[in-house]
Amino acid sequence: MAEKEIKIVSFLCNWCSYGAADLAGVSRLEYPADIRVVRIPCSGRMSPKFILSAFREGADAVWVSG
Amino acid sequence: MSQVTDVKGEKGNFQVEILKKPRYIDVDLCVGCGACAEKCPGKFDDGYNADLQKRTAVYVEYPQAVPLKYAINPDVCLKLTKDKCGTCADVCPANAIDYTQTQELITLDAGSIIYSPGFKPFDPSRFDNYQYANFPNVVTSMEFERLLSATGPTMGHVTTLPKLPAKPKKKKDKLLAQKRKDPKKIAWFQCVGSRDVNKCDNAYCSSVCCMYAVKEAMIAKEHAGGDLDCSIFFMDMRTPGKEFEKYYQNAKDKHGINFIRSRVHSVTEDGDTHDLNIRYVDEMGQIVDDTYDMIVLSIGLEISEETKAMADKLGIDLTPSGFAKTDSFEPVSTTRDGIYVAGVFNNPKDIPESVLDASAAASAAGDALSSARDTMTKAVEKIKEINVVGERPRIGAFICDCGSNIKGVVDCEAVTEYAKTLPYVEFADEAMYACSQDAQAKMVEFIKEKKLNRIVLAACTPKTHEPLFQETLANAGLNKYLFEMTNIRNHNSWVHKNNPEIATQKAKDLLRMAVAKAALSEPLKEEKINVNDTVMVVGGGLAGMTSAKSLAAQGYSVHIVEKKDQLGGEAHKLFKTAQGEDVGEKLNHLIEQVKASKNITVHCNTTLESADGFVGNFKSILKTNDDESTLEYGIAVLATGAKGSVPDEYEYGNDDRIITSLDLDKMFKENDPKLDDLKSVVFIQCVGSRQPDRPYCSRVCCTHSVDNAIELKKRNPDHDVFIIYRDIRTYGERELLYKKARELGVIFIRYDVDKKPVVSIVDGKLMIRLTDHVLNQPIEIQADLLTLASAIVPRRDERLANFFKVPLNDEGFFVEKHAKLGPAEFATAGVYVCGSGHYPKPVNEAVTQGRAAASRALTLLAKKDSLYTSGIIAMVDPNQCSECGVCVSICPYCAPSFATGGRFEGKAEVNAVLCKGCGLCVASCRSGALHLKGFDTNQIFSQIFALGEVV
Amino acid sequence: MNDKLSGSVVVIGGGISGMLSALDLANSGYYVYLVEKGPSIGGVMAQLDKTFPTNDCAM
Repeated sequence: MAEKEIKIVSFLCNWCSYGAADLAGVSRLEYPADIRVVRIPCSGRMSPKFILSAFREGADAVWVSG
Repeated sequence: MSQVTDVKGEKGNFQVEILKKPRYIDVDLCVGCGACAEKCPGKFDDGYNADLQKRTAVYVEYPQAVPLKYAINPDVCLKLTKDKCGTCADVCPANAIDYTQTQELITLDAGSIIYSPGFKPFDPSRFDNYQYANFPNVVTSMEFERLLSATGPTMGHVTTLPKLPAKPKKKKDKLLAQKRKDPKKIAWFQCVGSRDVNKCDNAYCSSVCCMYAVKEAMIAKEHAGGDLDCSIFFMDMRTPGKEFEKYYQNAKDKHGINFIRSRVHSVTEDGDTHDLNIRYVDEMGQIVDDTYDMIVLSIGLEISEETKAMADKLGIDLTPSGFAKTDSFEPVSTTRDGIYVAGVFNNPKDIPESVLDASAAASAAGDALSSARDTMTKAVEKIKEINVVGERPRIGAFICDCGSNIKGVVDCEAVTEYAKTLPYVEFADEAMYACSQDAQAKMVEFIKEKKLNRIVLAACTPKTHEPLFQETLANAGLNKYLFEMTNIRNHNSWVHKNNPEIATQKAKDLLRMAVAKAALSEPLKEEKINVNDTVMVVGGGLAGMTSAKSLAAQGYSVHIVEKKDQLGGEAHKLFKTAQGEDVGEKLNHLIEQVKASKNITVHCNTTLESADGFVGNFKSILKTNDDESTLEYGIAVLATGAKGSVPDEYEYGNDDRIITSLDLDKMFKENDPKLDDLKSVVFIQCVGSRQPDRPYCSRVCCTHSVDNAIELKKRNPDHDVFIIYRDIRTYGERELLYKKARELGVIFIRYDVDKKPVVSIVDGKLMIRLTDHVLNQPIEIQADLLTLASAIVPRRDERLANFFKVPLNDEGFFVEKHAKLGPAEFATAGVYVCGSGHYPKPVNEAVTQGRAAASRALTLLAKKDSLYTSGIIAMVDPNQCSECGVCVSICPYCAPSFATGGRFEGKAEVNAVLCKGCGLCVASCRSGALHLKGFDTNQIFSQIFALGEVV
Repeated sequence: MNDKLSGSVVVIGGGISGMLSALDLANSGYYVYLVEKGPSIGGVMAQLDKTFPTNDCAM
């Protein structure tokens, strides 16, 4: 874990990807802790402004999944 | 964990005796954390994964199981069998293990019983020619299903030798496991345990295997990348469901799956590589030898002995194949009054049909008890809400330990202390299990005592627990939308268990984001929906009448709008059902019942001229002859049906000996004397179906022709009867008709779509020429009567579809809400679909769907006084709206529209009833006029900004 | 018989059919007892990977 910690902002659709992330937990899969989840009601809710502002706030990557 | 042991009483008043077996886990205490299973030494076959791996004696069936509560298998638990161990009780953080539980016998009173036991996948071990029991690379389709699944034993990666443990312990297994490889060639063998009376007694077709084999082959190819060779060995490809034929053609043409019409004779194994050598006879009569890495046996659906014994106990009759005996016009009622069936036990079927059965059985079970409706259920009391608008946010933050699930990784104490430093947080507390009864009671107390007006909870997932806590808020008098939950278990402690420091930091970040969002949350209002409890059914055919009859029985006023001058629709043209019932007689009986019902108003010779409004509040103009009238109603059922097409080939129309299936039914109904003079009758199948201009299968024609052929043979065994077909699709127990027809001497000759039979009239003789697929020789048949099994075509009523904003597919059939789970309703709320307007279907399926539509409608009507919209909906700020119309055109639910009057005429407005809260319009609005309550733009920004803050 | 008609229904089997029957009845104003012999509901459908013809996830 000596590498630089990166910051990934992920926008997850409540109905699919958010549930998938839940399931990853239930299945006790392990993945790097660089992700911060914002739950959205549908990927249709995404606006380019959210992505841009996440980058402006210092995100290294933005992940939209739905 | 319960089984029915006895049923007494009668319709309306059964006593059902139930044996509740011990779970050895207190479900009220178990939090599903899995600490017990991590340490459990007992092992047994994991049935969920088709026994491909072992599971521990204390187990949940699968991670998404409902309820997510563990259970102990008493046969393998060391504590319960030998009184050793007891580890699970030691490690359980919730003290949920209880070895002292015993079984108990309870008796329930019930007005109706629904029996839906499902099926048992056929066990091919006893088939010696496919060597399932001996060859490790011969697997069942159920096993293959688990191999494909991302949650299966191989996480979706298909390898050979799948029956070996992933990490073998025995030396022999270890050696074998070295030969494991990614398969390059997989074969599916169809009809294993179906359509077979030689090796098993299952003469019926299991209805689902052709489709699931195609699916498995396609998914296997998808997983493996391009070079996997998939072959399906079949007798008839049976893909008669909605969109199924296209799926099959795509598999063949686009995905390169091989379809080989042959029953494989035998399988042998290469002892060294475990590859499988097969031998079969191809369509040209040549013997072919080939080698595959894996063979999947497409096993059929079977009714277990246990189910048959239970049926006996329930006192219901079975068909010879072991399925429940039902009537085509009451397809979910058993032979015992008051007991209903659904699912595969009521004939082999796929998921959407099981779903339709389920709703239909609910409707039938409910109709029998309509006078006792609402007598056993209770309404929930409401607590008055405190108005917090305009108040400064006073946030209460709660951090859940979830036993050791979160606390074992995350420093919850530090997170709680951190919470107290965040803006607007008045109070923070840590709970061992926030979802426990006492923790929630405490939460209510804190809200009242500290005057908290926003609650943030850092715990597990809102997808399962948000409603519970929202209720807690409501109990404390807070609007339920003032609650914000963040997931520090599933998304954090469970997935970063080796990095407690980072996980603690992440928990703080997530909490900070949630607090920032909660500070901006507002109480949201759920609008009450007024439901007009009158129902309009469009189409007075079998399905429409069935729907109307059921809803009328439940006490609702129903209007049937029928274009023609009489009720009954196309069913008037049918002679008999596949089960041999007289359609005319039963149809007339139904028509009489509908006419006699005081709750049903029939409008014949009537068309629908308009439809406005939305769920609960529709309004239409009906035109009867030339008189117009207005109807207000809350629910619409579209049952417009389909009709037989007029063939444009095979010389149809040029000779009165060339007729359609329905014409032949008419001859039977009228007992036409011409029938006795026939010597040779020919049927041609797929006339206008399954070809490029009309790619779907009309589903009913194979059974119809087979049935009519039997009728001809019964009238005169000396008739020569030929059925010229492409695939015989007598699914389910209809297969028994196909068998009977062959036994009676009906001759079946197959043709390919690119080599259609040729019909000609030569010197007054009606001649049919085609190539025989067995002899590969041209043959010619002289016929006295040629019946064309013409396609069933929808009415393609685009006007009606537009009225209710419901979609039609390419062929003109209505598109239901969900192909699997919403087959009798539309995405448009309050509008339901049934009958052949959805897809061609026989009598029993039309009645089932009619009942199902009624049942679905009833769930809405029953909430008449308690139907509310969600609070999470879009809202327009009319001062910002530029009237561009993007939201109006983009919304999949037609919620936004332009205001037609008032101060903001021309501006967009959102119908709260139709809005599903997806936010598509909000993201699309170029003026920033739209807001999504609960997920507003500033709230999402606040989360992003909170993340950017340096800690 | 009608004077003591019971407003409840017993559904035996918690697969996709049993679950949806129970839901429809419960939402229509009947009290439902769902009887399942295994430790959880869902039946065979929960074991399937994808469903035809849309290839949607079965879970």
